[in-house]
Amino acid sequence: MIKKGYILLLLVFILTMFIMVATDLERLYNSFGRQYFENNGFFETGSRNLVTAIYLDYRLIDSIFEAGILLIAVAGIIWISKHDLSEKNVEFMIDRFKTPDLFITFSRIVYPLMLLFGFYVIINGHVSPGGGFQGGAIVATGILILYYINSDRETNIKQIVTIEKLVYFLIILVASLSLFTKGVPFTNFIPISRGTEIQSLYLIVLNVLIGFKVALGLWTIFTAFLREGR
Amino acid sequence: MLYVPVYLVFIPIISSMIIFIFRQKAILSLAFVAQSVMSVLAILYFVQYQDDLSQTMFTFGNWNPMIGIGFVNDSISMLFVFLTIFMWWMILLYTFHYHNDHRNFLFFLLFLEGIFLGLLQTNDLFNMFVFIELITIIVTILVAYEKAGNSFRAAIYYLLINTAGILSFLLGIILIYYSFGNINITIVTSMMSNASLSDTLTVRFAFVLIITSISVKSAMFPLFTWLPRAHAVAKSGVSALLSGIVVKGGLYVLIRMTILFQPAGYNMDIIILGLGLTTALVGVIFAMTQTDIKQILAFHTVSQIGIMVIGISFLNGDGFYGGVLHIVNHALFKSLLFLGAGVIIHRYKTKKIHDIRGVFKTMPLLSILMIIGMLSITGAPLFNGFISKSIIKYDLPPYAYWILQLVNLGTATSFVKLSQIFFGPKETLESKGTVLEYIPMILLAGSSIVLGTMHTPIMNVLLNVDLSYYKSFSMQYLGEYLVTIALGYVVYRFIINTYHNAVRKVREFIISFETANILFLSFLSVMIIFFVLLPTL
Repeated sequence: MIKKGYILLLLVFILTMFIMVATDLERLYNSFGRQYFENNGFFETGSRNLVTAIYLDYRLIDSIFEAGILLIAVAGIIWISKHDLSEKNVEFMIDRFKTPDLFITFSRIVYPLMLLFGFYVIINGHVSPGGGFQGGAIVATGILILYYINSDRETNIKQIVTIEKLVYFLIILVASLSLFTKGVPFTNFIPISRGTEIQSLYLIVLNVLIGFKVALGLWTIFTAFLREGR
Repeated sequence: MLYVPVYLVFIPIISSMIIFIFRQKAILSLAFVAQSVMSVLAILYFVQYQDDLSQTMFTFGNWNPMIGIGFVNDSISMLFVFLTIFMWWMILLYTFHYHNDHRNFLFFLLFLEGIFLGLLQTNDLFNMFVFIELITIIVTILVAYEKAGNSFRAAIYYLLINTAGILSFLLGIILIYYSFGNINITIVTSMMSNASLSDTLTVRFAFVLIITSISVKSAMFPLFTWLPRAHAVAKSGVSALLSGIVVKGGLYVLIRMTILFQPAGYNMDIIILGLGLTTALVGVIFAMTQTDIKQILAFHTVSQIGIMVIGISFLNGDGFYGGVLHIVNHALFKSLLFLGAGVIIHRYKTKKIHDIRGVFKTMPLLSILMIIGMLSITGAPLFNGFISKSIIKYDLPPYAYWILQLVNLGTATSFVKLSQIFFGPKETLESKGTVLEYIPMILLAGSSIVLGTMHTPIMNVLLNVDLSYYKSFSMQYLGEYLVTIALGYVVYRFIINTYHNAVRKVREFIISFETANILFLSFLSVMIIFFVLLPTL
């Protein structure tokens, strides 16, 4: 009880300090970054979605390592999960007889729509909200629903993980192509003078690769957890 | 040549993935090929840019440096790069026989190297945050690699505490971006001298958040509890790597941040000095009471980190370089001790020092190497630990000087206690060590002696500072050292070895996760009071 009261006191104190700091914020705001992105983002990267412009061009190396975090997390979860990956036919935690039939039937209808929507979000990442990371998560959710539809699916995780590593390798490769066209690594390899239409090709390619990688990674994590759940 | 930092980051990452994908035995040698290529590249790079390291700055994509992400090297980061590559050579050699049936281990190890080199050379705060996060995740996996119950517990403890710490780093970055409009370290440093920006509540608050998160990452006083747990349960090679270099990542970020906030003129040297002193003292008190060989070494890592932080608290001049030099020295001798302890544990099948006897007659070469490591850590003249400790001691105020002497006494006590494993009759043991385990230890011991006697030219080339004033040997130093050891023996004999109740209590003192959180919040509040409230009142 004393501990809880003390923690509460500390949190209240820190929150009060935050509120004190917030009085300063109006006066301090430096909008340099925001102005820059609003004025130049579209012309320099060919992306109407400024978030995509930032994470696929201005700060591409951050995105590469963000994808790397997922890669490492997947490898770590597989390593830590108890079951041997050579077991291919694992009975999943999902019990066919406990899942409502209505849910299964609806899943069959929704599944293609989910995949389509996921691909849509990936491919249109540079003109509308979304992108590789978000679309990849949607596609992975669609794949997860397959386990409800057909509960004795076989998944060869080893293959998926290998493909995921290869895709990550491809991402690094595509990102560093600009070393040969512009002389600087980790930016768009299509010169700015070609116009925004051509530039967006690169954005689509990278978004698709990232979406693919994220979907594979999340799929692996689901499968590892499903096995663990028994 | 300008993009060598990028190659240094991506060569190990790509090799690690190739090793993971192809499962032939021959592919394992790729790790050593990558290491050789990286060593050559780093040396060539250093030779080319030695005269003017400010030319190494570049931005990915040739964007405005306030927008894009840049890499930059200075003399300190180059020193760290060389140290990192060297340490990874040692660990890869030491764990070589283990890789055949554990591909994943090599994958994580090499990936960690690339990430760590990225952390050293980045010039962007958010990029630094991403690298620190990745390091946290990989180290969690490496700590949990044994898949035993206690290693899982230690790994999760490490992950949670460090995640809490790193979140405050992120908040600090947000506040800095809000008030400076960019997060390029070089540019923010030049803007810091503008008092209307830096002397505000917001930036002070950001500073507090960042220092708090660093104190978690580098295991300073109130939040060091994860370090002994994680280092004691990991494999010996991983322990050496963690104590030797990965924990220093936090200290490296501390160096970067002190350089960043120096123009703002906060009185941060006092608080960093206080943190260093308490860390050194508390770490050594815990270390004296332990009986598990790896716990002893892990708590000594905490206390030595305290000494490094004392050095860094000078912010510039000889004392600061003493702190940096102590980081290098500690990496050498602590990893040597951990590797030696790993061989001993592997052959005696126990970690309790009371059950290990007769090491000297059983394994003479290993014992000589371990004794070199012990002489270094206790600060014997002619060994590297002595140099950096005397540089740090030289400029300290009197009270700090005496606390540091106390820490030295505690270190001596602790290693007098550890040295009892050497005495006793020869034992017959089944398993034999391999030659590859001894090569890294011999190299580490050799470099300890070399840095202890030839520190002046080496530091002159690498850091461009003149340390020739600090001699590595005189009869007075030797006399002081012998007195310290004798006192240490007395303390051990009459206090530590009496099985006193207080000693047992300290040994079994465990900080639970809940208490660690309370400590974290209290520390944050104290820092806020010191840096944000008091200057405004």
